[in-house]
Amino acid sequence: MVTGLVKAFGSVVAVDGIDFAVQPGTIFGLLGRNGAGKTTTLECCIGLGKPTAGSIRVLGLDPTRSRDLAALRPKIGAQLQATSLPEKANAAEVLELYAAYYGMAPRTQELAERVGLGDKLDRQIAQMSGGEQQRLALALALQHDPEVLFLDEPSAGMDAFGRRIMWSEVERLRDAGKTIVLTTHYIEEAERLCDRICVIQRGRIVADASPAELVARYGGDAGVSITAEGFSPDAALEALGTWTRAESQWKLATRDEPGLALAAIVTHANALGAKIDSLDLHRPTLEDAFVALTGETILEVAQ
Amino acid sequence: MTELRMFLVQTKMNFIWYFRRDGEMVFWTLAMPVFFLVLFSFAFSTGPNAGSSGFLVPGIIGAQVLSSGFWGVGVMLATFREKHLLRRVYITPMPPWVFFASLVTYRMVLLATQAVILITVGALVFHVHVVGRPWEILAVLLLGTATFVSLGTIVGAVARTTESANNIASILTVPLAFLSDAYIPIDRFPHAVSSALRLLPSTQFIDTLRDVSIYGVPLAHYGVWMGLLALWTIAGTVISARTFRWL
Repeated sequence: MVTGLVKAFGSVVAVDGIDFAVQPGTIFGLLGRNGAGKTTTLECCIGLGKPTAGSIRVLGLDPTRSRDLAALRPKIGAQLQATSLPEKANAAEVLELYAAYYGMAPRTQELAERVGLGDKLDRQIAQMSGGEQQRLALALALQHDPEVLFLDEPSAGMDAFGRRIMWSEVERLRDAGKTIVLTTHYIEEAERLCDRICVIQRGRIVADASPAELVARYGGDAGVSITAEGFSPDAALEALGTWTRAESQWKLATRDEPGLALAAIVTHANALGAKIDSLDLHRPTLEDAFVALTGETILEVAQ
Repeated sequence: MTELRMFLVQTKMNFIWYFRRDGEMVFWTLAMPVFFLVLFSFAFSTGPNAGSSGFLVPGIIGAQVLSSGFWGVGVMLATFREKHLLRRVYITPMPPWVFFASLVTYRMVLLATQAVILITVGALVFHVHVVGRPWEILAVLLLGTATFVSLGTIVGAVARTTESANNIASILTVPLAFLSDAYIPIDRFPHAVSSALRLLPSTQFIDTLRDVSIYGVPLAHYGVWMGLLALWTIAGTVISARTFRWL
């Protein structure tokens, strides 16, 4: 749980009053473009940054107090964005070392297989791709079967294959009852994984809801468009939403389920004997909601 | 038990990762001192003789201890911080003492190995006779290593970047090696200067190492200097613990 978190670096305020609470056993995502304050927030939660103001509780412990942090460390796992492992180490050695840090017997093979690195145990860090290093970092975070997992941009630098492995592992962990807090600037990742999303912009939360709620609230209207000669909506169709016309193309903007509207439109067109040239359905996406919320286009996010 | 195993695994990895580094690194730490010994032995005398080489063997070992502390440990820690290695370790339950104990152990083994190589080459090539008791020599060497690793850790703590750690380490190591009886006898300086230089922990360490190993002076004779080195070690450890930053 985070309340009124503020973190300033000199005169630069990276996090400007953030509040959120994470339900145990869920995946919670901080979504925002680079520099929005996601990493700063996450790092404050695991003792890697001292908040300028506000309070943080993780499993009831305050990570800014050294005594609490010591009690917290064995219970949390983290995959950091700004981190590196000794270049000359290989995956098996790093896993063995981290097992020792947590007082566990090494589960090297098992952990490596869970992140798809079962056949790369003897590969040195320096020879691993960015995505492989990220997956090894995830395996290290899982070493001690922590209750809460913090993942900072977990899929950064990963190819589609690595991302899929990571996603299914994160979902498996959630299903096993773990709590996961992650940051991401990939809308697709947030939509696929998160039970709840906080959209962050310039150090402030602009929305906090489930992906479906975000889309419903901020994604805008769904739409159906039809191009058919001789078509025009009747009163029943008029009631579904707002119609606009451009040449022979009719567009319906609706808050209701667009699939049902589509069915009604097709039935009506057939009854009119209108020949349908094209038919399109648009559902609002999380991306629409994100753009509406932040005024930031995806192009800006990519920069 | 858990922490002991942490220490053992960490130490094992230090050695594995070190020796996997390119041959150049191994060459620098193990062969360079021998090269120094040969070079200086010829430079400072007309030919191989026990006088100058006998002076140089413990001097070079001592200089290696200084650079091991300031360069090896100080600069390495700054690099680890800059490369964000330390922050990953910081979020694990590993107590800091395990990390540093393993670092000191690793350096002690490395320096003891260097010492054996230098003493062997000194004996075989330059007829240097090491007459001191081995355990006394080892005790001086290990205490000196502890002292300069703890002082080197302060360098790693106060330096913001690898570059500044490098600069601090150079400023400390190079002049200290020349002013601490390592390569040149400080008796060549005016008496007041050499007396002042004997207040340095580096001079006290190197002189003790030389007198115990080459001249067979009993270690008990240097109780005060050993006590002072122990105090430097404690001071270095306390200051390091207070100033060291993991992030």
